[in-house]
Amino acid sequence: MTRRLDMHGIGKSFFATRALDNVDFTCIAGEVHALVGLNGAGKSTLMKILGGVYQRDEGEILIDGQTVEITAPADAGRHGIAMIHQELSLINELTVAANIFLGREIRRGRTPFLDKAGMARAVRAQLDRFGLSLDPHKPVRELNSGEKQIVEIIRALMSDAWLIVMDEPTSALSEEDKEMLFDFIRRMKAEGIAIIYISHHMPEIFSIAEQVTVMRDGRIVLSERTGETTEDAVIKSMTGAELDQFVKPHKQITGEVVLSVEDLSSPGKYEGVSLDVHAGEIVVLTGLRGCGAPDLAKAVFGLDPDYTGTVRYMGRTLTPGRGPAVAVRQGMGLVTENRDKNGILPPLSVRDNIALPFLEKSVTAGLIDGARVDGIVDKAIRDTSTKTASPAQEIRFLSGGNKQKICFSRWLDEDLKLLILLEPTRGIDVHAKADIYRIIEDLAERGVAILILSYEIDEVLMLGDRVLTLFEGRTVQDYSYPHFDKDRMLADMAGAGHAT
Amino acid sequence: MTMSTAAAPARPRRAMDSLTQRYLVLVGLIVIASVGFGIANENFYSLANIGILLRSIAVLFLVSMGMTFIMLTGGIDLSVGSNVAFAGGVGVIALTATDSAALGFVAAILAGMAIGAINGVFIGRLRLSAFMVTLATFALARGLALVIYDADSINVSNAAFLWLGGQSWGSLPVVIPFVALVFVALSVLLYRAPFGRDVYAAGSNFNTAFVLGRMPQRTLVWVYVLSGALAGLSAIITVGRVSSGQPWTGLYLEFDAITAVILGGTSLFGGRGRLLGTILGVLLYGIIINGLVLTGTNPYLQSLIKGLILLGVVLLDTLVQRRKAQ
Ligand SMILES: Nc1ncnc2c1ncn2[C@@H]1O[C@H](COP(=O)(O)OP(=O)(O)OP(=O)(O)O)[C@@H](O)[C@H]1O
Ligand SMILES: [Mg+2]
Repeated sequence: MTRRLDMHGIGKSFFATRALDNVDFTCIAGEVHALVGLNGAGKSTLMKILGGVYQRDEGEILIDGQTVEITAPADAGRHGIAMIHQELSLINELTVAANIFLGREIRRGRTPFLDKAGMARAVRAQLDRFGLSLDPHKPVRELNSGEKQIVEIIRALMSDAWLIVMDEPTSALSEEDKEMLFDFIRRMKAEGIAIIYISHHMPEIFSIAEQVTVMRDGRIVLSERTGETTEDAVIKSMTGAELDQFVKPHKQITGEVVLSVEDLSSPGKYEGVSLDVHAGEIVVLTGLRGCGAPDLAKAVFGLDPDYTGTVRYMGRTLTPGRGPAVAVRQGMGLVTENRDKNGILPPLSVRDNIALPFLEKSVTAGLIDGARVDGIVDKAIRDTSTKTASPAQEIRFLSGGNKQKICFSRWLDEDLKLLILLEPTRGIDVHAKADIYRIIEDLAERGVAILILSYEIDEVLMLGDRVLTLFEGRTVQDYSYPHFDKDRMLADMAGAGHAT
Repeated sequence: MTMSTAAAPARPRRAMDSLTQRYLVLVGLIVIASVGFGIANENFYSLANIGILLRSIAVLFLVSMGMTFIMLTGGIDLSVGSNVAFAGGVGVIALTATDSAALGFVAAILAGMAIGAINGVFIGRLRLSAFMVTLATFALARGLALVIYDADSINVSNAAFLWLGGQSWGSLPVVIPFVALVFVALSVLLYRAPFGRDVYAAGSNFNTAFVLGRMPQRTLVWVYVLSGALAGLSAIITVGRVSSGQPWTGLYLEFDAITAVILGGTSLFGGRGRLLGTILGVLLYGIIINGLVLTGTNPYLQSLIKGLILLGVVLLDTLVQRRKAQ
């Protein structure tokens, strides 16, 4: 019998926010069910209810037709439901096998000694079953984020999970790792595992999911077989309106050079990189994860003093590692790639999170002018269509994509001269993505120089005035609009362009 | 005290809700404790006793406000009690040497700030553990105080120097309006000045504050210097209250301050809390301690009760936090 999960009439409110309203959701073994919707639509909340992280206000959950109570994460585990977290819950110092058997180690007979060989063998058997080539003896520290996710999934499968929930699993993966994950997902399907898959990436969904469900403002607005609907229909149902496609405006870049990087090297990170960014120009760096671009961007922003070569900004050579305070004062902004580690201030309000970098501008006679701050904050929220109960809401209660929007919107200041964006649209829904692209283009029009790191080839092609491909810390090619060649760029990133 | 409510430019709504609830509970407990001790001892409500009570907790008010800034940054200051003794010693020596009350004041405050600066540089600039650094200065400042005083107390008779801590207008000790003034000034600093936002930012996420160019390293230094300055002020008040400088003054003061701040709802992990809570926390804690003295409770039991209060509050806060996380 195929196992199935039914969620019926699920409702959930957080104070004034109605996060879920009468949601029905069904999932069947051997299928991938994609869950999509705008940022803040309620996808993660629904899954957290299924995982026992939040308690539902209304509705019921049935597994194989039987009502079940899930009031804690342990209950979900007992019913074979596993959530794969992005904030991975693995222990870096332990091996793959030790992580997978953590808490239920196999012992040698009745002795207190661990049967390491036995555990490794069991893990290997599972990995083989899914055609994966990981070494069970490798410490988790040495794995990349794609491999870590696979270890988490294997751990879930080995504790008899039949339903795997993945909330934006590919947002931190390189193209290669995505392929590996998709292969794995297909094999899991064949083995009769049910998968709930949250993503903002339509092509992914249409290539691996059988069923797609769209949420809007806490309700289900569409649920169809993927074969019987289209990407456009799904995207349209998210807001009720057609996607307002971003079209790159035609422009002439005439501004002076704002940032000039010359022969920048840092051992093991990047090697001999040179680039110029003019006022009004959008330069995109791209490559695989590990291509060295984030380190390069951090060096420019003054976060890392260990480099050779020169960085000139507005005609002046910058001191290595002078610190971000100087950078911000000089009109630079940075959106980091890891918003939880160094992007947000969790217990503080949305307002504080936005206003902080340019707070001094709203100060008169030593005191903060609250009305001025409110004006800036309201505009930032409006411009990026950030969904928040109010500016006084604590940022940690916002949905993932809305947190990301705040990390971006705090830099929208008129004195900004250079904006460095590391994966600016990570976790952002398709509609908001177009908005963000438009804001970036508007900034450029105003004369801001923009340096972007993106791993998404479509984004690279859509945004760049110039594109630099990087491979293992070295520049491969420099392309300028409109002479972009997608296939060559992909080859550059993979290291193939390097050889020729 | 309404000042801070009106002035706060950005109170996270949720935090205000739970903190406001907390303040109502504290006010309720303050009323209950006062009524209880009032029944147990009719002297409790005498004007004289209220004056004595307020004066005895004046120092705790000041030190706890400094501790609030520090705990908002996610830190802790174990050295305040010793610092009060040290700064008092420096102030008294300066006073006896120059016979100038003004120089005595300045010397005491600068001495307090010096210990604070040591804490701040090690914690903020060198990123050492606040617990370890202030545990070291806790011993160090006490040692310096003992050296300065040669382990003996020094009597002080300079009227100007004793005025702040010793003088009363009727049954209102001068120090009480002074504490209120400091509260207002610190509220403006915390809620209206950019520095206050930086204090919250440093405690919420040091890394983010750094990347946004807010220099949290520097914020931390100033927060410990501020705590040191308040310890210096407290030293002047302590000397004024007893007309002498004593090397063992301020013993367990850090314990009382930390308890009062936690009682007032400030998070141990930084980024969350308000000065008003600390004021209520000090009041409740002070009333309980004063009541225990007035009702003749065995002094040995007092320490036990203090310990239980701290344990109880931390337990309760943690349980509530865990429940909310669900
Ligand atoms: N703990 C909470 N307290 C208050 N509001 C919350 C909480 N968790 C979620 N919300 C709100 O519920 C709504 C749904 O959030 P959810 O995280 O489910 O969105 P999402 O669909 O996962 O969005 P994203 O694509 O950005 O990840 C949002 O408006 C969010 O602000
Ligand atoms: Mg989400």
